[in-house]
Amino acid sequence: MLSRSEDLRPLKLRFQLMLVVTVVVFMVLAGRLFQLQVLEGEQYASRAERNFIQSIDVEAPRGRIFDNKGRPLAVNRPAYTLMVTGRPRVLVEDEATETAELRRIPVSDDQVEELAALIDFQDESDEEKFVTRIEELRDDERSGRYAVAIRSNLSDREYARIKTREQLANWVDIRKRARRYYPEGALTAFITGYMREISREELERRGQAGYRVGDRIGKTGLERQWENYLRGRIGLANRVVNSLGIPVVDPPAMATAALADPVEPIPGQDIHVSIDVELQRVAADAFGSVRFDEVSKADYGGRRAGGLVAMEVKTGRILAMVSVPSIDPNEWEQPITRAKFGAWTGSPFKPFIDKTIQENFFPGSTYKVVSALSMLVDSSYDPDEIIECGRYVEYGGRKFRDTHACGPVALEDAIIQSCNVYFYRLAMERGLTLSKMEATARSFGLGEPTGLGINSEASGTVPTEASEIRQGSFQQGVRLNSAIGQGNVKVTVLQLAVLYAAIANGGSVVTPSLVDRIETRDGKLVFENEPRLREASPPLESFDRERIHRGLVGVVNDPTGTAYSERLNGITVAGKTGTAQVGRERRRVGEKEIVGWDTTQDHAWFAGYASAEDPEIVVVALVAHGGAGAAAAAPIVMRVIGDYLGGRRAGSVDRTVSPARRDAGVPPPLPGGDGQVSR
Amino acid sequence: MNSFLRMKLGSWRGFAGGIDGVLVVLAAILISIAVVNLNSAGAGDWTGLVRGQIGFIAVGLVGMVTVALLDYRLLFRLGYTIYGVGLALVILVAVVGVTTNSAERWLRLGMLTFQPSEPMKLFLILGIARYLQELSESSLAGTIRGLVIPGVMTLVPAALILQQPDLSTSVVLGLIALSMLALAQLTLRSTLILSLLGVSSMMLGWRLLMEDYQRERIDVWLNPENHAEGAGYQILQARIAVGNGGIFGRGVGEGSQNLLNFVPYKESDFAFAVFAEEWGFLGGCMLLLVFVLVAWLLNVASQARDRFSALVCVGVAALFFWHTVLNVGVVLEFIPNTGLPLPFFTHGGSNVVTMMLSLGVVSSISRARRER
Repeated sequence: MLSRSEDLRPLKLRFQLMLVVTVVVFMVLAGRLFQLQVLEGEQYASRAERNFIQSIDVEAPRGRIFDNKGRPLAVNRPAYTLMVTGRPRVLVEDEATETAELRRIPVSDDQVEELAALIDFQDESDEEKFVTRIEELRDDERSGRYAVAIRSNLSDREYARIKTREQLANWVDIRKRARRYYPEGALTAFITGYMREISREELERRGQAGYRVGDRIGKTGLERQWENYLRGRIGLANRVVNSLGIPVVDPPAMATAALADPVEPIPGQDIHVSIDVELQRVAADAFGSVRFDEVSKADYGGRRAGGLVAMEVKTGRILAMVSVPSIDPNEWEQPITRAKFGAWTGSPFKPFIDKTIQENFFPGSTYKVVSALSMLVDSSYDPDEIIECGRYVEYGGRKFRDTHACGPVALEDAIIQSCNVYFYRLAMERGLTLSKMEATARSFGLGEPTGLGINSEASGTVPTEASEIRQGSFQQGVRLNSAIGQGNVKVTVLQLAVLYAAIANGGSVVTPSLVDRIETRDGKLVFENEPRLREASPPLESFDRERIHRGLVGVVNDPTGTAYSERLNGITVAGKTGTAQVGRERRRVGEKEIVGWDTTQDHAWFAGYASAEDPEIVVVALVAHGGAGAAAAAPIVMRVIGDYLGGRRAGSVDRTVSPARRDAGVPPPLPGGDGQVSR
Repeated sequence: MNSFLRMKLGSWRGFAGGIDGVLVVLAAILISIAVVNLNSAGAGDWTGLVRGQIGFIAVGLVGMVTVALLDYRLLFRLGYTIYGVGLALVILVAVVGVTTNSAERWLRLGMLTFQPSEPMKLFLILGIARYLQELSESSLAGTIRGLVIPGVMTLVPAALILQQPDLSTSVVLGLIALSMLALAQLTLRSTLILSLLGVSSMMLGWRLLMEDYQRERIDVWLNPENHAEGAGYQILQARIAVGNGGIFGRGVGEGSQNLLNFVPYKESDFAFAVFAEEWGFLGGCMLLLVFVLVAWLLNVASQARDRFSALVCVGVAALFFWHTVLNVGVVLEFIPNTGLPLPFFTHGGSNVVTMMLSLGVVSSISRARRER
């Protein structure tokens, strides 16, 4: 039982001990608090900030591309990019012990399915690729930790659908980014080029330059060549996130105040090109209208392949550069269906190839100026000597034919009438050797890239006896064939434009250029193109140039000229037709026949400049398998020249010409004849 | 019984004068701070946790006043009965308990669920105090054999609670019993023997009983930085929260670790991390209040009229002391995660009511002390 009052004094020491223990324990706890809060407080304060501050890249607005009158060729439009974290942070709670662990848990198949269901895929392969990408990310311990862009240019509908799914928030993020838009689409496809997601190899190569997985990068054209100027510099934005890395919608003021100022991105630099987009359109339309009445914007060229270059003869500034067909670069801003891609890669028109610089062609008769110039440097050659030309010559036991017999001609007439036999004879009897032609060709820039810089230019081939022997293709007649631009001579459209520009301007070999100047967004000049010229060596003597020039004027303006039917009223054009035999390209067995596309047909060329009195512009057109140069290619060139010079002369150009002389000097009509209907 | 009632009813004045002002003020401050902190942890959500907690406090207050009004000698008389009821409830949990999150700790009474292991702490104090009071008058006083009965009284409920499973509550029961024994029964010799037993069983346990995952947990506790994205996350974030408080604290409702949910279980086990972040080192020393309370309880004990009263006061002091030390000790990384509530700070009715009832018991004893 409890006594009324008990003497507890013997326990006093125990009470005191307990008190001491209490005080000591308190001191220990307070000491730890002192350590964490006072001594190391700042360190933990900054760690707390690092916890909730997330820095994200802010894409710089990409530099735009404008034509020579400031019309846009490539601009940016707002768009959304889908970012995915393959191994998001998940808080795993154990309620029983009230412990929580943060874990990186790969997203489940169900989650991936849930997301995939919100996206409008182009086709099955598109969806397959999408799912595979996420699966790769979640299997990758390293890159699974970060938000990676896996699909750009979400539609508004997709954006809305994903945004409303809150359960996706911990692994799916949508960020604002721009998409590229090319207002002229396919018309300027090979000039602007297009953009594509950066490849893994490219990413490794450019690792230091601020590229991330999922970034887009210029793949062709100016987009690729000037990528470093166009891209600008990435900025940084800071935002408040919670423990799972999810952006906080309405962050506490304290957290917002802790955010560092964003680093504004530096916009990419704008490129102003020398292209005149209206002239470009005229050229492209001319290609189309040779055979088709309607030309769709998305598919310039239709069932026709070829290229055209229009260039200032004195500066090398390219005014129009058309290759048909081409693929609208806007197509690459969306995933491309397997079927569509297959159609492109399988097309005999090779829409991926820039016909002006990436493909070599036999120059045909347009090459005769090289043969002529090779002779003119030799003082023993008399260009006024009349040579009798029949329908063929015999050499080395073979017959070398011409389409017609020219009769007795001197050099100028041989050019005007495009007389093959005349040049055969020069090769057979007058010492026109491969090495002479090579020297001339090289001095005018053939056989090597012109230095335009985009779309990996082909260099063409200029045959020499040594190379012919090395390749085992040396034959007795190769010299004869080379003299008329066959054999193994191959050139690009742009190379021919440089050659004819040199004849037009009196012997200066220009380096063609597309970019006039580059400016920062606020108008500061970063780069300005200086025309680069070099004299042909040996230099083109002015009387030699005059002789060739007279011949080229005659081609269009002399009634015996091969392109007389295509002459313009009011503008004197000088030029040369070419009809290059393709001999080897026989139709393959089983190849599907395409109406209006006959691969046994010759390549049609026309290279011309104008005005003859004061040359400003050189235009070279090639219509692959287009048949005769005069019929297929010359009209295109004439339209471009007419538009360029005629526009300035207020419509004084009368493009109706009499068909009086068209049968002379022109090869037989095309099969089906529809190539000539419009002329 | 008659005299008991008369005393209670007839001496309202005596009661008012007998109020332990220190105890009441300390408790009031602690509870107020705790409620404010819970509001912070709930991000200002008064309708949820905080309202519930205030309800629990109200219930606890009624219980506390009621108990304080009682003559503590009634508690002596009913000591074993109360203990028996508590034990019965704990057994009941094992039979018909409500299982939540794989732990069977709760009993359901209509709408309410409560956790018998909480009041068991107080009931054990009363039971052991009564036994030790009686022991002091017998020949077993101060002997090792005298430890057998209190040992059994502790180990039976502790074993049952361990089965729930709730290791830390059963450990707290043991610590409370040990603290009380330290006052009345333990000698230097028995203390040595007990410590030897304790140390060797711990070492055996480490070698034989510990599962690998438990050992890993120890490693996490020792090196949380190595497990920052993983098991160490919780403790590391709590540490950052504490450190982020600095000297003066971020201010109430301004702690980023709390507001942006970096601290898990901030309204329960890790409430102290929230508190330390918002109140800083100076506020953190409010911790001092709990220890002042413990010291005051010891003071009341030392002035008590009898051994039973002293033992009950020491038991309640131990209740507060161990809960605080084991909870704050986790946040401050002195011990691995235990899951013990911080008195008043942690959301939960059973604990709040138990703590307030305990203080009621002490104030009853304190009043009798003045009457001496």
